[in-house]
Amino acid sequence: MKKFVISAALALGSLASALPAFAADLTFWTWRQEDKAQYEKFFKEFNKDNPDITVKFEAFEATSYNTILSTALAGGTGPDLMMTRTYGGIESLAGAGYLMPLDKTKIPALEGFSEPALASETMRSNKTLYAVPAASQTMLVIYNKEIFEKNGISEPASWDEFLKSCEKLKAAGVMPFANGTATGWQNETIVSALTSSIMGKAFYEDLMAGKTTFNDPRYVAAIGKLKEISAYFPDGFIGLDYASAQQLFTSGMAAMFAGGSFELASFAKQNPSLKMGVFAAPSLKKEDPKLVGLFFDSGFAANAKTKSPDAALKFLNYVANKKFAQAFANDLSNVSAVPGVTFDSPLLARVAELNKQSIPYMTLVNFRYGEPTGSNLIQAGVQKLLNGQATPEQVGKSMTDGLSAWYAPFKK
Amino acid sequence: MFTTRLTGRNLWIAALILPPLAFMCLFLVYPILSAFAYAFYEWHGLARGEFIGLANFHKVLFEYPFSERTVNAFVHNIFVFFALMVLQNGVGFVLAYCLWRELPGARFHRIAVFLPVVLSTVIVAILWKLFLHPLFGVVNISLRGLGLGFLAQPWQGQDTTALTAIVVANAWHMVGFPTLVFLAGMQRIPTEILDAVRMETESEWVKVRKIVWPLVAPSATVVFTLLFVSAFNFFELPFLMGGVDGSPHGATDVLGLYFYRTAFGSMSASAENFGPGSALAVLIFLFIAILSSAITLWLRKREIQL
Amino acid sequence: MTTKTYDHRPGLLATLGRDGLIQIILIANSFIMLAPIVIMIFSAFKTNAEIFRSPFALPDFTNVTSIMKIWSGTNFPLYLLNSFIVAASSIAVILTLGTMAAYAIARYEFRGANFILLFFLAGLTLPLKLAIIPLFILMRDLGLLDTRFSLICIYVATGLPTTVFIMTGFIRTLPNELEDAARMDGASEARIMWSIMLPLVKPAMVIAGIQNAVPIWNDFFFPLIFIQKDSLKTLPQGLTTFMGEYGTDWGVLFSGLTLSALPVIVLYIILSRQFINGMTAGAVK
Repeated sequence: MKKFVISAALALGSLASALPAFAADLTFWTWRQEDKAQYEKFFKEFNKDNPDITVKFEAFEATSYNTILSTALAGGTGPDLMMTRTYGGIESLAGAGYLMPLDKTKIPALEGFSEPALASETMRSNKTLYAVPAASQTMLVIYNKEIFEKNGISEPASWDEFLKSCEKLKAAGVMPFANGTATGWQNETIVSALTSSIMGKAFYEDLMAGKTTFNDPRYVAAIGKLKEISAYFPDGFIGLDYASAQQLFTSGMAAMFAGGSFELASFAKQNPSLKMGVFAAPSLKKEDPKLVGLFFDSGFAANAKTKSPDAALKFLNYVANKKFAQAFANDLSNVSAVPGVTFDSPLLARVAELNKQSIPYMTLVNFRYGEPTGSNLIQAGVQKLLNGQATPEQVGKSMTDGLSAWYAPFKK
Repeated sequence: MFTTRLTGRNLWIAALILPPLAFMCLFLVYPILSAFAYAFYEWHGLARGEFIGLANFHKVLFEYPFSERTVNAFVHNIFVFFALMVLQNGVGFVLAYCLWRELPGARFHRIAVFLPVVLSTVIVAILWKLFLHPLFGVVNISLRGLGLGFLAQPWQGQDTTALTAIVVANAWHMVGFPTLVFLAGMQRIPTEILDAVRMETESEWVKVRKIVWPLVAPSATVVFTLLFVSAFNFFELPFLMGGVDGSPHGATDVLGLYFYRTAFGSMSASAENFGPGSALAVLIFLFIAILSSAITLWLRKREIQL
Repeated sequence: MTTKTYDHRPGLLATLGRDGLIQIILIANSFIMLAPIVIMIFSAFKTNAEIFRSPFALPDFTNVTSIMKIWSGTNFPLYLLNSFIVAASSIAVILTLGTMAAYAIARYEFRGANFILLFFLAGLTLPLKLAIIPLFILMRDLGLLDTRFSLICIYVATGLPTTVFIMTGFIRTLPNELEDAARMDGASEARIMWSIMLPLVKPAMVIAGIQNAVPIWNDFFFPLIFIQKDSLKTLPQGLTTFMGEYGTDWGVLFSGLTLSALPVIVLYIILSRQFINGMTAGAVK
């Protein structure tokens, strides 16, 4: 009798879960409130290809998105589909079992994705992928083309040339850089944007292989060069907050902004007539490769407990393919993680080109899995450095010692 | 008959008292009791996990890097408390004494000193942030204009000045409060006593020390206790002026900020962590509750003795 | 006796010196208190260049470009409306519930009355901010996250203790005669409360209302946690978003600050006595 009830329930259950596969209404959550119109267009396209599935867009504020999402998922009221963060951000959701595990049999298009892209949405403990990587961000130098032309400056090929250009701008009464470091995380972005080339690929590989630490002379030299070039930041830049720094650049008072490619869209919005260019900060020698810092910032995932897993998978397959990715890149100015995407905007095309020579934005990509995070340490370290209270060696040492609290390769 | 009348009256009293009581229980008592309970559990995001005893407390008090941050923030709270004791309560007492003379214009000065108190902390924070801006702030512009350009500083970027800047903004915002509480205390001093003192001495200092100060003791108790509670609950101004990370490198970090950052995470550096967050909340709560009661009792005793 | 007093009276010069010093202190202080506010208001009518060049100069008060930008180019009016709705509803509920509890405690003798008063008073000292995690989970469970109700509930809970404290103290001082006479005439308890006692407690309600209104109107912490939708943000919370959007368009920033501060400042100047009494009530016995 009991058995019968159970099997009846199972049958009913499978019937119930089979039914919505024919007509599913999915909800999609993201923190990108400003992209509503474009997403609704994408979802309409998706609905044309899959007439039985509709997707509803809902957006929340970026700063509290994580909390809202994990709250909703814990309470069983989460969305069917969602935009997720990466690295540590995906682990907190996946680790709690909220996300549907994915692989290349479920989503064949994942085959062509780059290794770093897939790693960004993979949980380290079980090596399982939980989201389709969506977009990457690049740490580089953004510059004002008009100011560069007016002062006869071009993208620098070596560190010396970089310094000379800064000197020239300063002499002409233009602020070379707009950057300010009163806002904590701006101390982290400038390290990757300005010194990735000096650290070099070999340093990163040795670091990952456990052969070296942040005490490495290559890293210390890079931090030293950061201190050197900060002479061309605005007067009192250590008291200058992020918003002010952005405005110094968009208002044309400063020639360069060292930061992330995510700035490009907001800069263009603040001053549509601004002509911007991007370059990778050079290394010491002309011949050395110029590297940008790269990280993935978002992905598409499905709720492990969605009522329509098949429909959700269809959606994830859709976003992993080039047709969507192309629109995602062109309409929303994202550097899509999907291979083979081309860019209408020359600026984005240039960013994608620079991405070919990169090392990861390592404090975010590799060192945010424990307390203190690499981000905590580098932010504090650079603030002390620029304030004249720490040497580059001390910054490297504080990183290594701090991370050794949880990062196994640094433990003695 | 007696019982029905009683019930009717009791029902009426219950109808009056139960709704407000229910509100207090649900939104004040229950959350605070839960906060105590939560500190003993492990948390995965917002989902409660295993009971782990005192592990969260051990973490925030004794384990790197939490212990270091706890101490750092706590020291800053102590600094804030003593700095405000001087800049807010001390200055407030002097101002109250000046206002108490009722010289011409006193009414205007009384209204002026209390004006910032009615403003939102957000307005105060943004206003001072703009004033202290390294390039365009009115403070540095004025210094340069006066030929004192060498004194112009990136006030909010140096660990030597950042927290002080926040304390000064807070003092500007709130000094009117202790001023008017002290003033009310002074105004209650009976004129006979004052007249009697005037015959004894003409020294302003003796008068203040022997008469005014002891007689405004009840006001002092209130003002000191409130300052203590608010100094160790400090959150809004550091959050808005120094940012959630207590920039630069933790120089403006205080317990309230550290608790918030630990509990809800900071988008640019770390994830949310409700376990240690709850433990911190409990510790701050106990610290404030125990010490503010002790301070109140001690100050009260002083009131009676005099 | 008279001569003695005369001998000890400080000389005219000394008095003048002392009073002069006091005047100097008071004038300097008022200048420090008011100058930032005056600069803020002036800057709302200036362009960036004018603010940076001459922050203290009188502006051209007809230049309202920045102010119009805030008023019609942002969600400012919406934030203002939200703040108004939240503050007004909270005050209404606080005064209703607070007066109910205070009336019961002050006018009736019943077992536990003192305990209940103490219970409310204990709430005065509880830093509710520290219970924000359970509150957040409670609001989630009640489905109140991202609604105005979440704020109203919190503000009522935090406002009740002081309100009960002020109202109980006041209601206790009311004479018994009217009440007793009405009771003789057979009026119901509810009738007595509503028509006879309540009209008498209005002054205390004003005090309690102001005491609650200012912190609620100015609060930033609870909206920060509970409100995500831009359309539901309150004024202080909305102001912080301007900081990001208009980073160095300082004219606009100062306009935003001025527009949000002015209503409170004007109200305060008109009702300064009530404001001061209200906000220091509880601290001043």
